[in-house]
Amino acid sequence: MPELMENILNNLDNEFYSLYSCALVSRHWCKMSIPILWQDPFKFQKKPMFISRYFSYLDEEEKVLLKECGIIINFPNTLFNYAKFLKVLDLSRLEENVRLWINFQISNQKIICISKDDLANLLFKLFIESGAILSKFDIYFTEFIIKPNVFYSLGQNEHFFSRLQDLTVDVIIDSFDFGVEEAIMLLRILAKTTTKISTLNLGTFGYNYEPQIYQALVNIIKSQGNLRRFSLICETEFQTAMCGVISALESQRKNLQEIKLDGCAYSAEFKVLMNCEKLKVLRILYCEEKKLLKILDTGLCKISTLEISSYPTDASNLLSILKKSGTLLQRLKLDSEDEICSQSLLFDTLIAFCPNITHLYISYIKLSAELLKLIGSLQKLQLLTLRFVYNELEMENLDMQFAKILPSTLQYLEWSYIRNDILLNYCEAPLKKLKKTLKYVSLSRSTYISNSEFNNIRKDLEGYVKLVRFEEIEI
Amino acid sequence: VKLTSSEGTEFIIDRKVAEKSVLLKNMLEDVGESDMAIPLPNVTGPILNKVIDYCTHHRDDPFVSQEDDSKKVSDDIDDWDAEFCKVDQGTLFELILSANYLDIKPLLDLTCKTVANMIKGKTPDEIRKTFNITNDFTPEEEEHVRKENEWCEER
Repeated sequence: MPELMENILNNLDNEFYSLYSCALVSRHWCKMSIPILWQDPFKFQKKPMFISRYFSYLDEEEKVLLKECGIIINFPNTLFNYAKFLKVLDLSRLEENVRLWINFQISNQKIICISKDDLANLLFKLFIESGAILSKFDIYFTEFIIKPNVFYSLGQNEHFFSRLQDLTVDVIIDSFDFGVEEAIMLLRILAKTTTKISTLNLGTFGYNYEPQIYQALVNIIKSQGNLRRFSLICETEFQTAMCGVISALESQRKNLQEIKLDGCAYSAEFKVLMNCEKLKVLRILYCEEKKLLKILDTGLCKISTLEISSYPTDASNLLSILKKSGTLLQRLKLDSEDEICSQSLLFDTLIAFCPNITHLYISYIKLSAELLKLIGSLQKLQLLTLRFVYNELEMENLDMQFAKILPSTLQYLEWSYIRNDILLNYCEAPLKKLKKTLKYVSLSRSTYISNSEFNNIRKDLEGYVKLVRFEEIEI
Repeated sequence: VKLTSSEGTEFIIDRKVAEKSVLLKNMLEDVGESDMAIPLPNVTGPILNKVIDYCTHHRDDPFVSQEDDSKKVSDDIDDWDAEFCKVDQGTLFELILSANYLDIKPLLDLTCKTVANMIKGKTPDEIRKTFNITNDFTPEEEEHVRKENEWCEER
């Protein structure tokens, strides 16, 4: 069944080489794997030589233009119309790949005279006119100016954005070169032609304010039938500008499940969030979390993933939301840049109300009997990250106890605190006992451990578990 | 809940286990309480047995809807699931078909992922050998596909 084969091959989404192999297996496998291989070639992190394969589907006039610019079309009749398979378009990656492609041609002594913007616009237009239907679109408004013929093509091919599910818009207005009008026009088209966006990520940076951009963003939010994930990164100075955007979330209050706010100053507009009855993932990064959490502290509040980043985190602000979320809370990340305040209260609350935590990330805390009691009580814990943990009294028995209480469900462990050599020495036996379930360890090196000591520890650990970079693990 | 496999073997399972299948869940909701066995003509007894094992083990897992596209924490397969998928290729493919027919998304994802892992990193010839596939390309066609996609060879 083709849809099942597609399901299998979709798991190889990031595996260019494997998909390429699949394309060479047989005719049927080729037909199934080529569309997946070409749905997001711009994320291929090597030389973007695939760009040349698109040229054969340009119209004759454009081919003549390329020829005049010194670009020879090496693949006049490709087997597939590769542009049609594009599903993910990130304008900054398009721009960057085109730049790399031009540089590569020049480095091979080819005399070509086409600007990065012209070629990027030509490709953008080709994707639209080839019948591609995007599922993900990332716009990064900087200096890249979209040309009028691209807008004309968008007007003629409304299907291009019709199934868009994931949209990221980063607006950087700090330069007079910025194509404000083009940005507004593109956002207006998006508001008009999309209804299926489930994930919307907005970012605003810069010093100027362009109200029409924000009005267009408001319209995009209101046009969607089921916006489930919303994220906003903004600079405090722009709070006034963003307010309309926050208020627009009222139209999605029955759909929103996940909200991430980064760098947003508090305003009364955020009160719209208190009506989001399906909200289960909440990430508040460097905002006034005390005020924001107070808004969300309603009977509707049932959070399964809570992430707070601040400097420092005051745990007393979280107690109510933790109590209300209770057994539903599965993932908790507290990334504090200074010592977390009210640690005992936090641990007591988690022990009493949140026994189902599977992912726990805490930074900047004291290694204490209460912390150990908490970890010991989390019998479903799968991923544990403890960063900047300090053992105030340098009590070795706490390190030993820590190793002993790690639950047998644990699959990932990251710890980084002062005496981690002691911990490693003492936890040798428990690690052996845990080898059947403990699958991943991320090990960071303190400066006082020599290279050879570190390598020995690493070798010992690799006998039992797989070592991974902590960036690969997401709470 | 009573289920009957394609050969007529009867299985009795908890409703909670049966409801891991969206197909069965919808049927049970439509029909209500009934002693009648639900016939599953597309699933053989041994495969149904494996599917029941899977649903029983995962009976308390949260429901995963078709539209749930949230990012996975790790793309590794859980130990129990990995052990569950250690079956011959025929069984694995039958499990995929049954998971699809019974509409059990996590089982479909798991089995498809297991097959994808069997493909990962292999050359075309190794894939052909693994799944017993005949190369029906003409040499010219194969060369054409290779040439147009050779950019992927850069690893």
